[in-house]
Amino acid sequence: MDFLDEIETCVPALRRYARALTRNVDRADDLVQDCLERAIRKRGLFRPTGPLQAWLFRILVNLWRNSLRSERRRGEHVAYDALVIEPSIPAPQHGRLALGEMNRALDKLPDDQRETLLLVVLEGVSYEEAAAILGIPIGTVMSRLSRARATLRALTGTGDEPRLRTVK
Amino acid sequence: MTPLPASITEDDLHAHVDGLLPPARAAEVETWLATHPDKAAEIALWQRQNEALNALFPPANDEPVPDRLKPRQLALRSRGVTLGWPQLAAAAVVILAIGTGAGWALREFDRPSESAGLIASAVTAHALYVNENRHAVEVAAADRDHLVSWLSNRVARPITPPDLAPEGFELVGGRLLPGDYDAEASGPAAQLMYQNAANDRVTVYITAALPDAKAAYEFASRDNLDAFYWSNDLITCTVVGNLPEDEMKAVAKKIYTQLTWRPDAART
Repeated sequence: MDFLDEIETCVPALRRYARALTRNVDRADDLVQDCLERAIRKRGLFRPTGPLQAWLFRILVNLWRNSLRSERRRGEHVAYDALVIEPSIPAPQHGRLALGEMNRALDKLPDDQRETLLLVVLEGVSYEEAAAILGIPIGTVMSRLSRARATLRALTGTGDEPRLRTVK
Repeated sequence: MTPLPASITEDDLHAHVDGLLPPARAAEVETWLATHPDKAAEIALWQRQNEALNALFPPANDEPVPDRLKPRQLALRSRGVTLGWPQLAAAAVVILAIGTGAGWALREFDRPSESAGLIASAVTAHALYVNENRHAVEVAAADRDHLVSWLSNRVARPITPPDLAPEGFELVGGRLLPGDYDAEASGPAAQLMYQNAANDRVTVYITAALPDAKAAYEFASRDNLDAFYWSNDLITCTVVGNLPEDEMKAVAKKIYTQLTWRPDAART
């Protein structure tokens, strides 16, 4: 398969992860576009060793980290009006965590925990792959995951009865 | 009571929730959890967290992908800035003043970047060789048959040097050049050089058509050099020179007419 075709097959996964990171559809697509442009520019200079998708995720994560850094320097804020809570998302059912609550809790996670948790949960990558993508040791992946889950638990409650939501 | 497996770790519990354990190990964890309700409740919560995250951010597989996220289109668009000569490419893109100044068949105004890389390459090649005396060309016009067959083979298009004698220009010769470095699809380029009695030189830079094979027309100007670019379903062609405007237009038009002429309009 041609390099560009191969990249194309990764675009939906990149968009999904980018939306989870940015929580803004347009911003997510901007990020993916930057990522793709960078990958296309680099292709002649750099033969990705592992799977192409992991390489693309690595580029995406690095771009995201950079943009967070420069944003912090400028003190800008993301508008939350454009949150990626799509109208098609089913209302929470019994025994599930409320999505709005989860979204707010996610927002309070430290960046490193959030990027790790979302990568593992949404993209289904192995811990080894996550470590390679994020450029951290696998032990760090595990500790971030553990802390992320504990933090979410503290922020959203235990999921016991008071947290059950009825269908609206 | 099942005996506890030797070592169920915290990592195993995460991997279990994330579906990363081999079935045998997963079964061991399940067995262990049956006797550890506290842990079982905790990882049931993790599972609900996973479900919530998946519901918040559903897969995008079924969504239409906007053009700006299509790798092929991005590859075409990014050519202009990937040459390693950013200022040149930028100049070519920015100064693409299309239309009014170039009254010959300029039609499309909104697609400058696909061709920017080729125009930049053509202008650079012109600037590089135009002042050469003994080495201006690789194969001289005296060896015209060889020049034509060699360049036609390498560019994979029939390349017949236009006749510019009525405009006072004679073919000096030609050479093979890389096309735009980032445009793998355009392949190598043929550069033909012409010269008039006043030693003004014009080069014609020809590549095989871009993947879209669409017709496009552009005019670019940089320093004292003007570049006329067009493409059709067979080739792209960039005419570069620094002649007076009228003369430049006449030459470019003549080249265009000859290179796009087809017997019975049927050559493929």
